[in-house]
Amino acid sequence: MSLIIESVSKRFGDVQALEDISLEIKPGEVFGLLGANGAGKTTAMRIVLDILRPDSGTIAWNGRFNRDLPRETWGYLPEERGLYAKMNVLEQLVFFAKLHGVRSKVAEREARGWLERFRIPEYADRRAEQLSKGNQQKIQFIAAILHDPQVLLMDEPFTGLDPVNVALLKEAFLEIKERGKTLIFSTHQMETVEELCESIAIVDRGRVVVSGSVRDVRRSGGRQMVRLAVEGDPEMAWLAELDGVRVTRRGQDYTEMQVTSGHNPEVVLHAALGRDLKVTHFEIADPSLEQIFIEHVGQIDTTERTLAPKVPA
Amino acid sequence: MKGWRTLFPNAWYVAVREYRARARTRSFVVGTGLLALIAFAATQLPVLIDYSMTTSQTRIAVVAEAAGMPSDSLAVLDGQLNGQAADTNAHKAFVLSWLSAGDDAAAQKDLEKGTYDVLLIVARDAATNDLGFTVRTDIPQDGSAVASITHALLSLEIDDRLFRAGTSTAALTAPFSLTIGPANATSAGTNSISHQVSADLLSTGLIMLIFMAIITYGQWVAMSVAEEKGSRVMELMLNATTPLQMLAGKVLGNGAAGLTQYGIILAAVVGGLLAQGQIHKAVLGTSSGAPFGGMDPTVLGAFAVLFVLGFLMYSLLYAALGSLVSRQEDVQSAATPLTMLVMTGYLMSVFGLQAIDESWVKIASFVPFFSPYLMLARVSVGHVEMWEFGLSALMLLISVGIALFVAARIYSAGVLLYGQRVSLRQIFLAIRVSR
Repeated sequence: MSLIIESVSKRFGDVQALEDISLEIKPGEVFGLLGANGAGKTTAMRIVLDILRPDSGTIAWNGRFNRDLPRETWGYLPEERGLYAKMNVLEQLVFFAKLHGVRSKVAEREARGWLERFRIPEYADRRAEQLSKGNQQKIQFIAAILHDPQVLLMDEPFTGLDPVNVALLKEAFLEIKERGKTLIFSTHQMETVEELCESIAIVDRGRVVVSGSVRDVRRSGGRQMVRLAVEGDPEMAWLAELDGVRVTRRGQDYTEMQVTSGHNPEVVLHAALGRDLKVTHFEIADPSLEQIFIEHVGQIDTTERTLAPKVPA
Repeated sequence: MKGWRTLFPNAWYVAVREYRARARTRSFVVGTGLLALIAFAATQLPVLIDYSMTTSQTRIAVVAEAAGMPSDSLAVLDGQLNGQAADTNAHKAFVLSWLSAGDDAAAQKDLEKGTYDVLLIVARDAATNDLGFTVRTDIPQDGSAVASITHALLSLEIDDRLFRAGTSTAALTAPFSLTIGPANATSAGTNSISHQVSADLLSTGLIMLIFMAIITYGQWVAMSVAEEKGSRVMELMLNATTPLQMLAGKVLGNGAAGLTQYGIILAAVVGGLLAQGQIHKAVLGTSSGAPFGGMDPTVLGAFAVLFVLGFLMYSLLYAALGSLVSRQEDVQSAATPLTMLVMTGYLMSVFGLQAIDESWVKIASFVPFFSPYLMLARVSVGHVEMWEFGLSALMLLISVGIALFVAARIYSAGVLLYGQRVSLRQIFLAIRVSR
């Protein structure tokens, strides 16, 4: 009883967009899809939604193939935001809900409720083109969830929102999760993932590099991070003598180092105490997702490697 | 394609949205109003023509210097020049002033002042005893007014010669028997120039209506598809509907908007034609001929069938082409091949009406891309068998089905392709892998 993506491959001409992707996403989970631009996140979502057909592989939700599922199973917030510019906000929300089989009256009530919650009730009767981009994005989010879908897929839902609206959207996420819905979203903002997601998958060039619960992924490298601060020895040159320890960051507050698997991180503490240093901070942690990501993908790639040529702005 | 089973109600919702979006635009409202106004004005054209004819009058001064002219000379001239209007109170195109002999000098002055347009001096030739005429005027000598006058003078000359030969004026104007009927004596209908002209106008008009509808409203469909792609609403729509639902909704919605515009224009035309008699009477004091003389229910029925089927087929293809471009500006160029096809069919019908029994016209009237025009042309002329029309309509219907299938394929592939130009190869690739 979950969303099972099994050995999905998809090729566009010369580009292998997805290569043998397999994932299992549990119901009621918040799942993060991490990857650089062009890694295949959007294609994966479109295939799950049955907007695109994979070259091979299957997608099943609760034991039924996605081709046999009614469309209202899914809610989708596409990466490319768009609304009917000349149509008023409430009308288009009701229109999209009706397409998913929601009755007009219910749709209107729900839509007004969500506009209220996003603090934009006065926009109900405005045309979409009169709204700011951030507000249009909120309208699109409402359009994606108005029919109460079982699985909500969102492509970069947070980009372009100010901190206040990011917080509002996160609240909405949690409420939808509490209703027992499954949320899947793609992003390259690691903090958001660590804050919201229970499970993640890191995708690179059409392949799943690593996936699982956030904890498992962070421990996937077998390394641990140690943060240490002592009085009177900011250099801590002796750290270089320790086996399996590599300093990754020197800061005013603390020095961060990586301890390779098989070595006990407490060695660092013992070494410090053995040198009669006064330890003010000692912390053992898993590597951050960002470190894992960089480790697997190389670096956070900002250059576009998008498959379909984009329309110049 | 699971969309086939679940076309409604989503296609209906899409259609309603399309219709509203289209009918609310300023260009639609203003355009419809303007076209209706033009159409109404056009129906009043006969009134205008009649009116302009009544305001032009040719004033003729006749100086009868000849002696012994028949007593009904003035009546003969009047009758010849003004026809039926001579006996009634209706407007006369020619006004005659009969002056006595010797008034020619005064009349010449009046002519130069512009009181008269024409000065006609009638004298008798001393040698032959025939009437001789002198016409002085500045109106065009090869114009219809001078031609009418020449014709009337010929009658007057003959009248005078017969009178001198001893025939009484009563005998000259005695009524005679004349019957005019249709070529087939049992045929009930009477033919008239206005009847024939309005029948011709109707068939070319109806063909033009089909042509305009396909060109205009077909492009609307393509525009609305490209607009959704351009604004990226398409991505939301793709999850909410199937391509087939979207396609059907768009064609129905835009078609309905087009039909609304047509309905309003047609109402203006019908209203104008109905009011034409009244307006004619109000302006000119006489009523005009029956305006609906040329309308044949068979032609109108054929028009309805061919219009709907032709529009459906073409607008489905327009939608498919619209799905291949990313911006509205590119719609025109993408649609050019189809527009050329539409134009070709129309031009064929223009020439086809002149050569309705040629075999190429017959063949083309069965080809689905051209049959909306050419079959209608053949029906309007009446040179067509029932089975021929049925076969043509059936083939058009089948083509609509094929167009729906092909368009849905291209559409579902095209809407996800973003780029400046989409190659044929890409389309075929996409069609193959799309749902």
